[in-house]
Amino acid sequence: MQESTCLTCPSGVRSERKGDAGARGAVRDRRHRVISPARQRTLAGVSAPAISAHNLARSFGSTRALVDVSFEVAEGTVCALLGRNGAGKTTTVRILTTLLPADAGRAQVAGFDVAEQAPEVRTRIGVTGQTATMDELLTGAENLETIGRFCHLGAATSRRRARELLGQFDLTDAARQLVKHYSGGMRRRLDLAASLIHNPEVLFLDEPTTGLDPISRAEMWTSIRTLVSGGTTVLLTTQYLDEADRLADTIVVVDRGLVVAEGTPEQLKASIGRPFVRVTLPEADAPTLERVGRLLGAGAEVSGRSVSAPAPGGLASLDEVVIQLRKLGVPIHEVGLEHPSLDEVFSTVTDHSGHGHGPVTVEEAEG
Amino acid sequence: MSQVAAKAERRLQGGVLDAYTATRRFLIRGKRQPDVVLGSLLTPIIFVVLFGYVFGSSIVVPGGNYRSYLMPGLFAMSVLFSAANNAVAVAADMSEGVVDRFRTLPIARSAIVIGRSLSSLLLGIPVLVVMIVCGMAVGWRADDGLGNAVLAFLLFELFGFAIGWLGILVGLLAGSAQAADVIMNIPIFLLGFISSVFVDPSKMPVWLRVIANWNPMSALVTAGRQLFGNTIGPPPSGVWSLEHPIATTFGLALLIIIIVAPICVRLYSHGTR
Repeated sequence: MQESTCLTCPSGVRSERKGDAGARGAVRDRRHRVISPARQRTLAGVSAPAISAHNLARSFGSTRALVDVSFEVAEGTVCALLGRNGAGKTTTVRILTTLLPADAGRAQVAGFDVAEQAPEVRTRIGVTGQTATMDELLTGAENLETIGRFCHLGAATSRRRARELLGQFDLTDAARQLVKHYSGGMRRRLDLAASLIHNPEVLFLDEPTTGLDPISRAEMWTSIRTLVSGGTTVLLTTQYLDEADRLADTIVVVDRGLVVAEGTPEQLKASIGRPFVRVTLPEADAPTLERVGRLLGAGAEVSGRSVSAPAPGGLASLDEVVIQLRKLGVPIHEVGLEHPSLDEVFSTVTDHSGHGHGPVTVEEAEG
Repeated sequence: MSQVAAKAERRLQGGVLDAYTATRRFLIRGKRQPDVVLGSLLTPIIFVVLFGYVFGSSIVVPGGNYRSYLMPGLFAMSVLFSAANNAVAVAADMSEGVVDRFRTLPIARSAIVIGRSLSSLLLGIPVLVVMIVCGMAVGWRADDGLGNAVLAFLLFELFGFAIGWLGILVGLLAGSAQAADVIMNIPIFLLGFISSVFVDPSKMPVWLRVIANWNPMSALVTAGRQLFGNTIGPPPSGVWSLEHPIATTFGLALLIIIIVAPICVRLYSHGTR
């Protein structure tokens, strides 16, 4: 049971040190792959980032897709690149997966430079792109086998891995069907299975659930979570906050080619603010709104027919406000305590209207 | 030294293995497109009927027997058709997401295009067999012995391999399979018809005759007719490529492969986008 939950290392031998490998100056696993520097450090108990990007920039003609993107992903963790369409998520992934050269900046994946050691990077990564990358004219099994053969697993191992993965992703019944007859969800699962055939150390998932129906989406989430419990480092991109919140250990918010916020989901929520109290009046009556605002104290903001202000004490603050309002004796439509959601974090840090917030970092908000 | 050699050997082994996997993939794809297979089998038969009988009845050629004159021309045409298939198949591959998947795998950079090239050579064999049977049925014979006939077919295959790379190049540059298909029609018509493939150029207007005589397709088909022993009389004087058709075809094929194949590998691995 435990074995079957580990999708990435069914043989469990990936990191074994080969006896005579030291003589050749490289640490190799059983498949004769040189064990990556990042993995070696981890084996030695030193945690190194599985992905590190430094000041990546990339333009397409006059469009600056990436202006300056830097971040790190610790080994064995899930990082979500969160942003709107065109924020630079896919460009970042394409650079990290050796598909696209960066104009400036450096990046390392599994300890290898993506520009200078692309072949080394490619043996260690799995990529599931935004578009389906499976061959429509091949069956699910044939697709996986072909990729296994391209990874030099040999014919027999490729067939065995294909069978295992089809089973793990609930595609055994569809194994002999042409991919062109697959549903959207089945294609995504097959794509994910294909990315895992060579037991990658780092997995890139570019919008893994975009365009899927809610059930297929939930199934993808389950698959991804299972993977992570197997120790694979995952970088996923998403436009969905709930997806980032549910799956990721850390979130990097990108907007217009820049990292505008990063941290754990909790840190990001905290960075935007503590709970606040919102008082809504029956109608937008300026003098009354002003009186309520004075009552709520510094930081009160009027918007429409409601006034909101920080409520650092949570429920206690709300209680206080209700008592004060009663003393004031103005007509009240509604009073409530509200918590910032990740949605608000997102809209605050990617605010394009020009007023208010600049880049928000966790340190700034916490300090 | 031995380590460097071992590393090079591993790379070569990997490359050969990758090319084999890619070829295998294209063959499976070929099998799943019976309409394409049927099309490439039927086209030569249609040409035999159309040109051998419909047009052929009113075409006069040196040597007298039009259908014997025609068959080497049709072998040459099938080379162009298979190049067009390459262009369409590669363009289709490039416009699908599958190419991104391959680029993130540790595959030898040349594997996919070499695989396409080899698979089209293999897929061409049944077409060639059908054409030979067809040709024999309408009275064409290789009169110069089996050895020369085999040489002729090897020459057709070599030239087809070379032109196939040009097809791959078009496929890499075209944005879509439809575009590749349309683009490839142009060389098929120009190279195929302004040549000695279907008719004797000596009756064409002077400017067109010059083009037809120097057209590499004329050299290819002349080399075929010579090796098959389907004599057509002396070549037009002063046209080196027709005076030495075998050397011309052989040399040109090698030249195309040497120049175009590396370009294709480069374009494929770096992407055109």
